[in-house]
Amino acid sequence: MELCGPRSPRSGRAEAGGADRAEAGSHCSTTFILEAVKLNADKSTITSCLEELTFSAERIDIFYEAHQKHKKELERLLASIGRCPPHINDVSWRLQYHVKNNQVDKVNEPFYCIALNTENEGSPEDINFTCTVEQLQDLVGKLKDAAKCVEKASQM
Amino acid sequence: MLLVLSEEHKEHLSFLPQVDAAVVGEFGRIALEFLRRGTSPKIYEGAARKLGVSVEMVQHGVEGLMFLMTESSKHMISEVDFLDSVLVLGFSEELNQILLQLYLQHHAHIRSILSQLPSNQPAYHNLEWRLDVQLASRAVRQQVVPMLTLRLLLSGVGDGVCARRGKVLQTDPSTLLHLISTLEGALAAMKSSHARRIFRNIK
Repeated sequence: MELCGPRSPRSGRAEAGGADRAEAGSHCSTTFILEAVKLNADKSTITSCLEELTFSAERIDIFYEAHQKHKKELERLLASIGRCPPHINDVSWRLQYHVKNNQVDKVNEPFYCIALNTENEGSPEDINFTCTVEQLQDLVGKLKDAAKCVEKASQM
Repeated sequence: MLLVLSEEHKEHLSFLPQVDAAVVGEFGRIALEFLRRGTSPKIYEGAARKLGVSVEMVQHGVEGLMFLMTESSKHMISEVDFLDSVLVLGFSEELNQILLQLYLQHHAHIRSILSQLPSNQPAYHNLEWRLDVQLASRAVRQQVVPMLTLRLLLSGVGDGVCARRGKVLQTDPSTLLHLISTLEGALAAMKSSHARRIFRNIK
């Protein structure tokens, strides 16, 4: 697992001035940390990488402890990067009774207005549609099939 | 319920007694075809030529017949009411029967065409789903993230009644369970005493 690549703080910018070196150092440390989280590096890999960079054992321990403390949060942050289809967060519904309209009289049929509250790359988006009672039963049936499938898969 | 026909409408229909019963039947067929597919001036011209009358008279006759059929289907008029409504036109008994038969044969179909007209809101058509497990992405390796990819098919979105638009959506298992319980609550609302009282009393 190539964690310590050409971005090692020793290469390239060692000749630059103090402020530049600090900035370079912080960029490189950030990259190192993110790569370690991204690849789910274990303790031995991190330790051997930092030893190559002549980190003392004490510093390695401090680094590793901080890494473990924030690993979950960093994983969550990294996982949120990337494109994905709109994500459904919630659903609202309205039950209405269609009495008549200007084209047809005596309709007398109940129907549902469903709004799927989704989030598309940060911005909320509502998907609205109508359905009859039978169609809603069909929709709920299909969602229940999906839930059963998830349950079975989780038991494997 | 009786249909009230305007003077203009009666005038348009007054053309019908002047032609044979077979022609009235043919006009009825043309009128229904127009309801399904839209009008075509060529047919009016052809009929006008064969009958030796003006195109305008044929057009008014067919349109008058179309309007009579759609209004009757819209209000679900009974046989008796239909006959009473056309009585005012002063047609022969035979012609009245032809019109009644036309109505009885096609009113269910006309109603279904009419009910497709006001659908400016997308309506549910189908839902397809797939269970996926995300294993890695560009930013993170070694993931185990279960997710449900759904494809919601809706109809009646702008481009016409038969257009289907599929929307790809995603959700996680816990949201899925929440969706199921919320929508089951929606179905239960149908069975409440309040809802049943409304359905019973508004007819």
